[in-house]
Amino acid sequence: MFEKVLIANRGEIALRVARACRELGIASVAVYSTADAESAVASFADEAVRVGPPHPGKSYLHIPNVIGAALKTGADAIHPGYGFLSEDPFFAEICANNGITFIGPQPDVMEKVGDKAVARDLMKKAGLPLLAGTIEPVQTADEAHDIAASIGYPVIIKAVAGGGGRGMNVVRREEDLARLYQTTRSTAQAVFKDSAVYIERYLEAPRHTEVQLVCDGHGTGVYFFERDCSVQRRHQKLIEEAPSIHLSDEQRRDIGERAVKGALSVGYTGAGTMEFLLDDDGNLSFMEMNARIQVEHPVSEMITSVDLIQEQIRVAAGEPLSVAQDQLAPHGHAIECRVNAEDPDRDFAPAAGRLDTYVPPGGPWTRVDSHCYPGWMIAPFYDSLIAKLIVWAPTRPEAIERMDRALSEFRIEGRGVKTTISFHRRVMADDRFRSGDVSTDFVEQFLAAEAAVA
Amino acid sequence: MSQSDKPKETPDREMIESVWAEARDLVRRLEGSSVLRFAVAAGEYKIEIERGAPAAPPPFAPSDAAASLPSGQPVAAGAGPGLGVDPGARMASGMFTLEQPADDRIPVLAPLVGNFYAARQPGAAPFVEVGQSVEAGQTVCIVEAMKMMNEVVAGETGKVAEIAVTNGEWVEFEQVLMYLEPAEA
Repeated sequence: MFEKVLIANRGEIALRVARACRELGIASVAVYSTADAESAVASFADEAVRVGPPHPGKSYLHIPNVIGAALKTGADAIHPGYGFLSEDPFFAEICANNGITFIGPQPDVMEKVGDKAVARDLMKKAGLPLLAGTIEPVQTADEAHDIAASIGYPVIIKAVAGGGGRGMNVVRREEDLARLYQTTRSTAQAVFKDSAVYIERYLEAPRHTEVQLVCDGHGTGVYFFERDCSVQRRHQKLIEEAPSIHLSDEQRRDIGERAVKGALSVGYTGAGTMEFLLDDDGNLSFMEMNARIQVEHPVSEMITSVDLIQEQIRVAAGEPLSVAQDQLAPHGHAIECRVNAEDPDRDFAPAAGRLDTYVPPGGPWTRVDSHCYPGWMIAPFYDSLIAKLIVWAPTRPEAIERMDRALSEFRIEGRGVKTTISFHRRVMADDRFRSGDVSTDFVEQFLAAEAAVA
Repeated sequence: MSQSDKPKETPDREMIESVWAEARDLVRRLEGSSVLRFAVAAGEYKIEIERGAPAAPPPFAPSDAAASLPSGQPVAAGAGPGLGVDPGARMASGMFTLEQPADDRIPVLAPLVGNFYAARQPGAAPFVEVGQSVEAGQTVCIVEAMKMMNEVVAGETGKVAEIAVTNGEWVEFEQVLMYLEPAEA
């Protein structure tokens, strides 16, 4: 096992990783920018190294400084968290060159699964279901026409290098295809410096369903069931739950097994997530793989009683997984609400500032993953996540009641600070949400319906 | 915000840092309490901190900081947590480092995390030695990171008063590498 792990991140996930290290008996090293000198993780971790000014490019993303901090403190591994350097194969390679274990997949594997076209091709070969469409980039507008005609409209044109909802266009009518094909290509070239695009069937209102897995270096992989993350706004997830109430036990096992098989087929090691779209007929289609731990991992932890970060660290250290698939079963229901410093009444505009009041909820089966404390400054130059509020209950309706109760306890105040708590409470009270009939168009329709009433 | 006894001729860096560490720790533990003022002393050094005072000017407008301090030569000063400094000003200043001296000496800060080297290569003469005069822009040391030699230059003309780190030592971002005494006006 590692003796000392450096955490190349900030905010709640840095503290989350440091807590896992502490419980495993591993010393932790925090890195911080000058804006984060008073951060919770900088005081919680066993050591802290200042790595640069507030701008992430000069601190948390500045590879020489992060590596330097690891060498300075003698850390034998780096946990990248999510975001920042977590999916940078180049960084993983530099870690290896400096004798530091990167807690994540091997650089070449990370590179493969990070390329959407390559990942789709590999996962199709491994037996994962894909949406009708191309795998190879589409070369000409004529070719695009033929493909769209064969899979049927609507189709979506996506940049191979795209992500986070950028670099994609939906085509509903044949006459729009040529124009949108060119638009997507030039946007992709401008934004991602790669004009390659592919085409696939477009689902109007699918459910975002993702499978959590962890693979060790001994050829074993385990899936921790799925999460439903359909409550999104502009491709940013707001509420996640586990398990999905739309999968049968058989589907759950089938997609889990295929996801693990797919991951093992490319030599994947560590924690990862396979994203799928689930249509109204119950068909799952592979979208992409995220080669890191994700923000919403706690809901999977709550239904499996497995600490995924500890598991991630364990397998990175060369140890086998501590749980076997047949020891796992989804237990109860968990929901996570992302409490962001955003104003839901003003189109979720950033509303950062100093937290004069910060009183998190408590009580049974209520978990708050947060780096905040009274007086902490939510800085405008980092992400707006204040806290992840996670509850567990035996059933989904009970989890919703518990979430509403916990949200009602959560007190966050400060000059200029607004949060998404009120939005979450309204969602918890919404009939459609409570019925479970939630797809990726939910937030848009929910907000439109509220606006119509107001 | 802070003051000290008259320092010894050569300030004892280790002692200063331990006093500061104590003070920082205390401030953390006193967060939310009603304690408004306390002092930490060790040997000849003493730090007094007052909390909840009216908003102070940004801590690192050096002239302001110097002006707000009693006369004499405090050994070290800077903003710690909960010092009653206006948070906005603190964020805007973009840096608040405990190593910043409050005297008129000019700190030379590490521009990145890396290894401090006093000379271009092992066995070579150091770029500068204590007592030596330097011009603004003159290389005073190297911070090496991932085999890249980053030359650190003096920001102002002056005389090397103290080299604060040892050759080969790992330094963090904005750690004080040396102090310069400003050139006589």
